[in-house]
Amino acid sequence: MPTAAVEVKQATFTYPGLDAPALEDVSLTVVEGERLGILGPNGGGKSTLLKLVLGVLHCQSGTVSVFGLSPLQARQQGLIGYVAQRSEAEIGFPLSVRQVITLAASWRLPPWKSLPAAERDRVEGLIRLVGLGQLATRPIGALSGGQLQRALIARALACSPRLLVLDEPTVGIDAAGQAQFAELLASVHSKLGITVLIVSHDLRAVAAGCDRVACLSRRLHSHTSPQGLTPQVLAELFSHDIAGLAALPAASSLAGMHIHAHAAGEPCPEHDHAHDHGHAHQPAAVSLNISAPRPPRTSGDAP
Amino acid sequence: MKLLEYFHSWQELQLLLTPLLAGLLVAILCAALSVLVVLKRLAFVGQGVSHSAFGGIGIAAVASVLAASSGTAVSIGQGSVAEFLIVVAFCIASALGMAAVGARRSGQSGQSVQVDTGIGLFLVAAMAMGGLLVQYANTLARSRGVTEAQRSWESILFGSVTTASWADVYVSLAVLVLTVLVLWYFRRVLLFWTFDETSAPAFGVPVTLARTVLMTLLAIATVTAMKICGVVLATAMLVLPGAIALKLSRRFEVVFALSIISACTGVVGGLWLSIETDAQTGPCIVLLLCVLFALAVLRARLTSPAAASPALPAKANP
Repeated sequence: MPTAAVEVKQATFTYPGLDAPALEDVSLTVVEGERLGILGPNGGGKSTLLKLVLGVLHCQSGTVSVFGLSPLQARQQGLIGYVAQRSEAEIGFPLSVRQVITLAASWRLPPWKSLPAAERDRVEGLIRLVGLGQLATRPIGALSGGQLQRALIARALACSPRLLVLDEPTVGIDAAGQAQFAELLASVHSKLGITVLIVSHDLRAVAAGCDRVACLSRRLHSHTSPQGLTPQVLAELFSHDIAGLAALPAASSLAGMHIHAHAAGEPCPEHDHAHDHGHAHQPAAVSLNISAPRPPRTSGDAP
Repeated sequence: MKLLEYFHSWQELQLLLTPLLAGLLVAILCAALSVLVVLKRLAFVGQGVSHSAFGGIGIAAVASVLAASSGTAVSIGQGSVAEFLIVVAFCIASALGMAAVGARRSGQSGQSVQVDTGIGLFLVAAMAMGGLLVQYANTLARSRGVTEAQRSWESILFGSVTTASWADVYVSLAVLVLTVLVLWYFRRVLLFWTFDETSAPAFGVPVTLARTVLMTLLAIATVTAMKICGVVLATAMLVLPGAIALKLSRRFEVVFALSIISACTGVVGGLWLSIETDAQTGPCIVLLLCVLFALAVLRARLTSPAAASPALPAKANP
C-alpha cells in the first residue's frame, strides 16, 4: 500500500479577524512519489493550504501530517524542500549560485564544521541537474528568471527533502521558460523519485507537470488527473473569476493542452502565439485561453 | 600640520592613540554588521535603536544622580561602563520590541500597526522619555549639589571620540570580539534568513532566533558607536560602510572586506580632518563616508551602467 507523503483531514482554517474560512473541510492525500498540483483562483486558499502543509499556519479543526509527522517535525527534520515565489528572495544579495545552494545543505551543521566532501559532491550534482553547472560562480542576482527558478529548486533539493513544495513556480517566467520548467520538474522527479506538490493559479503549470490535480476554491472541488480537468470542473472552480467559461466547447479532456487564465484588460502573455493556435479571448471580465502544446524554445533563459 | 603635534611625547600620542583605536574598533564592529543591515533594510531600525538610546541615557542620568547623592561606590557617570550597560539594556529592549512589531507584521496574527510606524513610535517615545529624564536628572543634581552628574547634550548627539579613554578602547574591543564570535557562530542561519526570510521557516531555519540575534547585536553596536558619532549619526556607521561595499562588489567576502576598509578609512580620515580643522569628529567621519559612497556610486556608474541601481538591492520583480 503506498505511503502518504501528505495527509490533510477535514482541515478548516480561518484567519484572525475574518468571518469566512479561507479553507473549509479540506481532505487531501498526496501519495509518496506522485506529483500533485493544487489549482485554484486567487484567494481560493491555495497558499493557506501550503502554509498548513509547511506548518507555518495551524488549522483550527482537522489534521495535517507530512510523512506521518506534524508539519513542524517534518520541517525540522529537513523532509520538506520549499520553492517560494521567486519574487520573495533578495536577489541583490552578494552570494554566488553555489553559495546559495550550499547554504541550504550546510546551515544545520555546527558552525565549526564545514560541509563534508560527499555532501559537496551532491550539491555539485544538483547544480548540474538543474542545468546551472556553467553558472555556479555567478552572483545569484545576475541570473535570469528561469535560471533563478532552477537555482531555487536546487536549493530546495540540497537539504535532501522527501517532499518538494513549489508555490506559484511559473510566475514571471515566459512561455518557453515554463516549458523548460516542466521538463526540469519531470527530470528531477524521475531521477530523485521525490514527491512534488505544486500550488498555482496557472492551469498550464499544473496540467503539464502533475500526475493528479486538486482543484481548490475554499473547499476541495475535485481531486483528479489532468485528464479530468474539464471545462465544467474549471467553470465550477473559477466561477467567480472566469465569466462565460461555460460557453466553451465541451472538450472531454484538456490533458496535454496549454491552458491559461488571465484578467481581461491585462496583456496576454501568449498573445504573440494567438494566431498559431486559435487563441481566443472571452468577452467577459476574465478570459480563459486554451491552446495546443508548442515545442519549447531554447532561448527561454535570456535575461 | 596639527597632527604632528601629537608625536612630541608619549602622553600626547596617547591622546591620539586612544580615539584612533576606539574609532577603528567601532568601525570594524559596525562594518561587520553593516552589510546585513543594508541587505535586510534595517537602516530605519538602526535609526530607531540609536535614538531610543536617549531613554537609556535618561535612566542612567537619574541613576547617576541618585547614586552620587547617596554616596554609593558604583559610578554611573557619563561615559562609565555602568552607563554603557544601562543604555545597552534599554536599546536591546527597544530593538527587540521593534523586531516583535516586524515579526507580527510578517506573520498572520493580525497586526495593529505597520513596522515603520512601530519603529517611529519607539523612537519618539524613547527620545521624549530620555529628554524628560535628563532634564529631571539635571534638576535633581542641582538640588542635591551633584554637579558632575550633569549631561552634555552635544556629546550625546554628536559623540566625543577625542575624549575616548583606554576604558572605551577595552569596551569597544570586548564588544567587537563578542560580535565577531556571535556572527561566526550564527553565520549560516543569519545568511539564510537575510537572503530569503519568506522561505527560511519552511527550511526549518529559526527565523525568530536570527532576528533576535541580529537586533541584539545591532543595539550593542549602536550604543558603542554612539561614543564616536553620537546618537544622531550612529546609524551612519551601520549603513554607509555596507552601502559603499555593495556598490563595489557582488561577492560576499569582498563586500565584507570592503565594508570594513571603508569604515576604517572613514574613521581615520574623519579623525585627521577633525584634528586639522578643529571640527567635531563624528560629523567629519560621517561626511567622509558619504563622500566615499558618492565615489562608489560614481565608479559603479562608470564601470557598469546596469549596476548603478538604487543604493539598496532591489527585490526580484515577477
